[in-house]
Amino acid sequence: MADEYPFEISPMFEGERVRKDDLYIEFAGPKSKGFELVRVAEENEIEDDGFTLIGPDISEMEEGSLYPLGMIYRISGALVEPDLEAIVERRNHDFQNYIQGMMHLNQRYDVWLRISKDMIANGLESLEPIAKATMMLFKNELSFIEKIEAVYITDLEKVEEELTKAMEIYAARDERTKNLHDEDVDNFYGCTLCQSFAPTSVCVITPDRIALCGAINWFDGRAAAKVDPEGPQFAIEKGECLDVIGGEYTGVNEVALKMSGGEYNKIKLHSFFEYPHTSCGCFEVVGFFMPEVDGIGWVDRDYTGLAPNGLAFSTMAGQTGGGKQVMGFLGVGINYFRSPKFIQADGGWNRTVWMPKDLKNKVLSDIPSSIADKVATQDDVDDLDKLKQFLIDKEHPVVEKWPSKEEEEKSKPTEAKADEVGQVAPGQGVFAPTMPLDIPSMIGGGGEGIKVTLKNAKITIDKIIITNKK
Amino acid sequence: MRVIAITGKGGTGKTAIAAMLIRSLVSKKMTILAVDADPDTNLPEALGDTVEETVGDQREFMLRERDNLPPDVDKERMLESKIYSILAERHGYDLLVMGRPDGPGCYCYTNNLLRGIMDRIVKNYDLTIIDTAAGLEHLSRRIIRDVDELIVVTDGSKRGLQTAQRIRELVDEIGLNISHMHVILNKVTPQNRDRLIELVKQLELDLVGMVPYDEDLASLDLEGISLMELPENSLAQVEIDKIIMKLGM
Repeated sequence: MADEYPFEISPMFEGERVRKDDLYIEFAGPKSKGFELVRVAEENEIEDDGFTLIGPDISEMEEGSLYPLGMIYRISGALVEPDLEAIVERRNHDFQNYIQGMMHLNQRYDVWLRISKDMIANGLESLEPIAKATMMLFKNELSFIEKIEAVYITDLEKVEEELTKAMEIYAARDERTKNLHDEDVDNFYGCTLCQSFAPTSVCVITPDRIALCGAINWFDGRAAAKVDPEGPQFAIEKGECLDVIGGEYTGVNEVALKMSGGEYNKIKLHSFFEYPHTSCGCFEVVGFFMPEVDGIGWVDRDYTGLAPNGLAFSTMAGQTGGGKQVMGFLGVGINYFRSPKFIQADGGWNRTVWMPKDLKNKVLSDIPSSIADKVATQDDVDDLDKLKQFLIDKEHPVVEKWPSKEEEEKSKPTEAKADEVGQVAPGQGVFAPTMPLDIPSMIGGGGEGIKVTLKNAKITIDKIIITNKK
Repeated sequence: MRVIAITGKGGTGKTAIAAMLIRSLVSKKMTILAVDADPDTNLPEALGDTVEETVGDQREFMLRERDNLPPDVDKERMLESKIYSILAERHGYDLLVMGRPDGPGCYCYTNNLLRGIMDRIVKNYDLTIIDTAAGLEHLSRRIIRDVDELIVVTDGSKRGLQTAQRIRELVDEIGLNISHMHVILNKVTPQNRDRLIELVKQLELDLVGMVPYDEDLASLDLEGISLMELPENSLAQVEIDKIIMKLGM
């Protein structure tokens, strides 16, 4: 096989860099234009192993020159579906890097290729053997591809023309990927990067839930787990769905038990109160329950002021972080606000009452229009009383659930004092100290009292401060 | 594939030593990756080079743009290409400037990508030379993981030597797997020479060379002229060549 091509082909050449000193021709990249595109076609439209070049070939190019490059592959096969296009396209990078003396970087409209002087010295005169070798690898490694043909373009005008069309295809694909949800996939991904400082942290990344740090989405998890299944991101078979709204899966629960060292055996991905996701310490935003208004506020790392509960991000983050399920607080990544499942178990946006202005503006287009102007910012309110009035004035949905005056008399809720924040002792975090112990009665608004069940509980409390309401 | 980090207290001339080493090694036809990992970037200047963008800038780009990128974009590939695009390619060496350190927010994921990318890049060079501040910030984050040797540059001051000792402790503390730590005495004069040797002995440091105070070097430094202009037979360069022999580079 090796004799067919004027170069060696092996995975060991991956990561090989063609330095400027060794460079013969450069294609696309930051200083030129290019793209790679895989399209599904009808079987009879494809000339198997066919290669067409539009524009000059390597033999017509001067040493040290830079050319645009478009690479279009058309594939067919009984099992080939349009959804596979993006997955197949990604492999062009791998296969071209298997070629000795060739460097392929990046993806889509950002591709950047280099051909070394050694390749030319070894007899390379045309792009054809490169295309043929790539197609051979496609067929060998992806057996569902029955027929494949390639069109390479080095003519600038034609590259630009085809790139415009390709951009529309990429955009349509992005639209489809944005519509991928938890129920559409079999695997979620876990990440252990935060376990170095939050050992019981269980980070679960799903199509509808970005990692708390905001850096890793489901596709990133998939890409990393594929390259290195033993690495920090790994696949979680989601298993059976136990709670559709809360987002509870048997596979996630099993991983939670393992990753947290036995600390947690239940995680509901889209829940704020019941078995919430653990909070590592890297989260971009922390959510906090305000029992006084039965609503949830969110504060992000960049907001240095105080939230209506009188606390700053740093204080609440310190309390929430460490890889625990902390009742009344939840760390999330900013992109989670864009999720259609955003804390859906606890009312989603209808439970959200406050956000810093910048954060709100960042995600404004994803807030349902019916609620957007009912979410207060620091410009509207700076304490709980003003927040209460704001919510009443704006007819926020939480107001309906507030207990009536008489009910309030009956249940006599204690008020949380924001300035008495303690630390959650290690190994606990069931109730955050700022939370009054009668949260559930506040949530339901019924005032029937509560039942607290502690199983296997070890509780150490350094100090309890009880003060009279002034 | 050998990776050597050069460090020392500010003002001891570690960047000048790094630049002279690179110059000599390039003339020996070795391919060098020069990494400026000192937040107070001046290796490019010493090499007569200018670098506009840094690794830190690319990292910030990834953080800033992450929600605007296509959802299934391969971020490692994207960052790798961005790092390659800012790698200044020169005859015989490539230069990478690390730039600003991590800001607030979580850098775990991006830094983890960067580690993989740097692992692959480093393999393409005979030798990687990292110019880094005494705090070893970039080394402690393991952005470049496999540093083999550390060269501590110190001048004719006890404080410089104490820094060397502290660096040795720091290496243990952050668990860097460094096989050797060498010391180069810089700006050595006939007056301070004997006393310096004595101090090095007391601290049980492995002295690999003594670069004499060099008028040529000092005047280039004063005018901010590239050290590439240093005459080959200047006192400092001659000693650097000896060090290269000694270290088997």
